[in-house]
Amino acid sequence: MFSSSTQKKHWMFSNERDLAKLRESSNTNYIQKMIARDGKPPTEDVYDTFLLPLEEKMLYRHYEFLLREFCKKFTPAVPKAVIGTSLAYFKRYYLRNSVMDLHPKQMIITCMYLACKVEEFNISITQFVNNVKGDREKAQDIILTNELLLIQHLQYHLTVHNPYRAVEGLLIDTKTRMSHIIQDADNLRPLIDDFLDRMLLTDASLLFAPSQLAMAAIVYAVNKAHFDSNEYLNILFQDAPPDKLTHARRICKEMHQMIKAIEMPAKEQVKQIEKKLEKCRNQDNNPDSAAYKRKMEIDDDNSRLAKQGRYEDSME
Amino acid sequence: MDDIACPRCKTTKFRNPALKLMVNQCGHPLCEKCVEIVFIKGSGNCTTCNVLLRRNGFRFQVFDDPIVEKELDIRKKVLKDFNAREEDFATLREYNDYLEMVEDIVFKLTNNIEVDATRRKIDQYKKDNKSMINKNRGRQTKDDILVERLLEEEKMSSDLRVDQQKREDLERKKALLKEKEDLIDELMFSDLSAAQIVALHDKQKQELLEKEEQEAKERSRPATAFSTGIKLGSKGSEFLPVKKAAEAPPYEYKPLIIDIMGPPAPTVEELEDFGYLNHIRGAEEQEKAGGFESKIACERAIQSALCGLYFGIDGN
Repeated sequence: MFSSSTQKKHWMFSNERDLAKLRESSNTNYIQKMIARDGKPPTEDVYDTFLLPLEEKMLYRHYEFLLREFCKKFTPAVPKAVIGTSLAYFKRYYLRNSVMDLHPKQMIITCMYLACKVEEFNISITQFVNNVKGDREKAQDIILTNELLLIQHLQYHLTVHNPYRAVEGLLIDTKTRMSHIIQDADNLRPLIDDFLDRMLLTDASLLFAPSQLAMAAIVYAVNKAHFDSNEYLNILFQDAPPDKLTHARRICKEMHQMIKAIEMPAKEQVKQIEKKLEKCRNQDNNPDSAAYKRKMEIDDDNSRLAKQGRYEDSME
Repeated sequence: MDDIACPRCKTTKFRNPALKLMVNQCGHPLCEKCVEIVFIKGSGNCTTCNVLLRRNGFRFQVFDDPIVEKELDIRKKVLKDFNAREEDFATLREYNDYLEMVEDIVFKLTNNIEVDATRRKIDQYKKDNKSMINKNRGRQTKDDILVERLLEEEKMSSDLRVDQQKREDLERKKALLKEKEDLIDELMFSDLSAAQIVALHDKQKQELLEKEEQEAKERSRPATAFSTGIKLGSKGSEFLPVKKAAEAPPYEYKPLIIDIMGPPAPTVEELEDFGYLNHIRGAEEQEKAGGFESKIACERAIQSALCGLYFGIDGN
């Protein structure tokens, strides 16, 4: 239940300003960490080397889009809850981590893999990486190395409440109590799905409860199908105090505006940002870099040393 | 029973009831025969962890879990050096911290965690406390003294009992003999008829028996000590019972109230009465067999649709 969930307790924010602030601080944190490690970049302005918060935003929006498409094209087809959950993980991760720390192209497959597990969509890792274009073995390595890291950054809050079940509930309710104003509620489904799909590319899931998302989706669909959405909300909130109804109307409008305001970054822009990212990303987390390989070797050596130590101890 | 098996020759307790597992310091079990084969030269490597072992280090496994055996081994070794007493510490707190440290070391060595560091710690401790360890080595602990005293007391009391028993038996025999003589004397010299005399004696005998019984009853009053020597009900003993927790006010039932942050959801009965169930798929036969009914899904969908609709009002 959402009202007693970790989602409500830890992953809900009151407005977009708070989200922007969090992301900005993770951006500055990363830059400071890198400067402390490698020394100051040659130019005066750090943003000549590192990504601006705005550029970061464009990049993760782009990768949210890619993640959604990846989920949709996935074979076997995944339930909607997996898509919702994986995007929720992605958003949560990049709230407190910079895009420069761990490349989002690594994170999207990891989020999706974890979401499959959590939403009980049983699939093996080999089957999973068959959906990945390019080097599958490498993809497998990336997923398995980053999975635990992701879980840790999610603070082990793995349950995500998605709006999809709430939509079902509201539709049942509509068919039962409001059949006089909305006929054939099932015809609204394509519109609702479209709305929720687009919602995935906004921060709505960090700002509104899943049932509110579902309500906004239905109101959107009801409007589009030329039924009376005002009457719908009146019946839905008939037992509630009037301030709740006005609040509901307001957040529906807010969400509809969010949907309209979605703009995808242009491809050339994304390409440019990715080029810049190659120079400033954390090489420790880049599986193609020399630093990453060195780190892995050190880890290997350490475990071998530990084993040897145990052997010598027993010789005494 | 089937679980008990030799990891090397795979013989199980089921197939060979005479199977006896042995363990060495690494804690990995091996059956008696395999020990003979592998350690024919007197020493060899553990088949499981490849650690060098001596044959005479093997002993029969007493506990089901071989790790327990290993732990006991390690504990014995560690306690040889960590033999400080409660008297050696200024406060109980310090003593408890010390005990905690010892447990920590034993645990780490048993589970192969930071073995090197732990061994270094032990060596350091040995160096630091050399004189105290040597001093304590010969000293009896408080527990030893107590156990010795209890044993002594028990022996004394049992000696006393045996002695008393002997004396009583002797007296009873004497009394019986005397009675018989009295009877014969009276039959010889008394003026009363033989039948009367016998009846009188029978009565006396009865009285004697009754008295004895009463005495026996008195003797067998409730014991004042357990077989372990702990005094029953005596105050001032070193084994005070755990103090009773302060009387808490009796438990008060409070019904569980879940704030669903939304309009009240219909109850299960209402789902049926208002026709909500007409709008969802009925449960299949197989699902019903598993205890699943369509109203469960219906209730869940409706609850998640309504839960959280008020989210975001008045600042929560």
